[in-house]
Amino acid sequence: MIDTGFLARPWVPAWILLLGSASTFVGLAWDLQWHSDVGPDTFYTLPHLFIYAGAAVSGLVSLAVVLAATGAVRSGRAVDTAVGGRRVAVFGVFQAPAGYLVSGVGAALFLLYGLWDEWWHGLYGFDAVIASPPHVGLLTSAMLAMLGSVMTCAAAAGQPWSGPALVASVAILLGFSMVVLVALPEVGVVDERTVTVAVLSMAALACLASFTRGLRAVLATAGTLLAVQIVLAFFSPWATRLYAASEGLPLRDYTNGLPRMSMLMPATLLLGVAALALAAAATSRRTYAVAGALGGAALAATFPWQAVLLGSVAPMPAEVAATVVAGALLGAGGGLLGERLGGALRLLVASPAREAV
Amino acid sequence: MRRVVFALVTLGLLLGLAAPAQAATSQSYAPVEIVHQERLTVGPYELTVGFSEWPVRARQSLDFTFVPASGIEQLSGTLVAVSPTGEEDELRRPAGVHGLPRHPRQPDVWGLDVFALDEPGDWTFTFGLDGPQGPATADVIVPVLDQPGPPLGLSWLVSTGPLIVILGMLAAAVRRGGRAIAAA
Repeated sequence: MIDTGFLARPWVPAWILLLGSASTFVGLAWDLQWHSDVGPDTFYTLPHLFIYAGAAVSGLVSLAVVLAATGAVRSGRAVDTAVGGRRVAVFGVFQAPAGYLVSGVGAALFLLYGLWDEWWHGLYGFDAVIASPPHVGLLTSAMLAMLGSVMTCAAAAGQPWSGPALVASVAILLGFSMVVLVALPEVGVVDERTVTVAVLSMAALACLASFTRGLRAVLATAGTLLAVQIVLAFFSPWATRLYAASEGLPLRDYTNGLPRMSMLMPATLLLGVAALALAAAATSRRTYAVAGALGGAALAATFPWQAVLLGSVAPMPAEVAATVVAGALLGAGGGLLGERLGGALRLLVASPAREAV
Repeated sequence: MRRVVFALVTLGLLLGLAAPAQAATSQSYAPVEIVHQERLTVGPYELTVGFSEWPVRARQSLDFTFVPASGIEQLSGTLVAVSPTGEEDELRRPAGVHGLPRHPRQPDVWGLDVFALDEPGDWTFTFGLDGPQGPATADVIVPVLDQPGPPLGLSWLVSTGPLIVILGMLAAAVRRGGRAIAAA
């Protein structure tokens, strides 16, 4: 017997999970801007609410799906693998679809690191440091929940809604992950953040190319990321000014209103897509390495200039050269990893669509 | 159509969740509370540097106030903060700008809000004031103790849990994905 309840509509929990990720992403962009332009902080700010509500939504929907899947299996009904992918037995009791298990663990960790962060702020005050240990714990927990969202969208491959959802989930994960890189230690030889953005971007795009066996989703993801970057560039400073005014708080002196989150995202990611497209002419495994190298180098060569346009100091020529070389090498590695990650995503849907009882 | 309705309902739920917190955030932020002051003679001027925490600890965010005896109207001021290791901190200002900002919650004085000095040791604050009696500069040393709480290494270890889970998952996925591709 096939389940006909909640689990018969895989798009319902998948889109709720995606909405949770989007809420956390928008909240983070707003929060960064608030800390930069206004400053005073409490736990109960609107940007924090978007961040925490997103995690709560992700956690609750994941829990609901795991419980529903467990109940369905126990009563002898089959669960479609389009709901979060293949099932994993947890503690010998629960039957958790892999995607929802990952997002649920991410949301649960988010809660734990939220408590750790609260304790930390009690000790240090409400500092606006992105790169504090609890903040990195919180941000990476949210990334784990977003990774679960990517898996749930991929697991439903073939359903009409899953393509756009997959594109949106990868764009959110990739965009969000760029803020975590602020915590990277400076190495001095290369621009460490740029090369890490290059490897992550190429891995994510190659993963999509490998999973979908085409470039449409890749192009759509880069385009979505660019659209998000533009929307956040207007939204974050605007919402921050509006919220500050409603609280009767002035903006800080020397606030330049530049969109903090958008500045962390490379608009030049599109060059990476162009590189993928160029290399797609070949069909061998080398495609991914060559595409990753071209895209990584293109991104590394252009991303630092985005910061320069916005007032940062121009990097030294030696650092630019080293960054481009490192971007190419790491981009190639990212391309190869991405191909394999795409293969792993296919495993989520590789079993027959509906399991026999 | 059903999907549109669903999306609207979900959005409504999310905004519904947001509404109570909006009420909760309609608050006035606490005024600046100074617990320690250092008086500094800058040429012909007097400047009082205020701290909302004392002693100052590394990475602890606090409010600083910089108050000239004659008020900030008649004067312009600059501040260069140099860390114990000799690096200049931009104090949240765009590169190259050294002017003193007003404190956002006490705009009649200069100051920094929720600002942390990230290294222990002696920080050097060099103030420059310019006004009717000409320009002058003076230094004040701000001793910063070690950071509170557990050692930073231990804090990072605790905080890298989710990252380790992600890396472990990606490693497993890369291994299994490679096999899947080879088998295809």
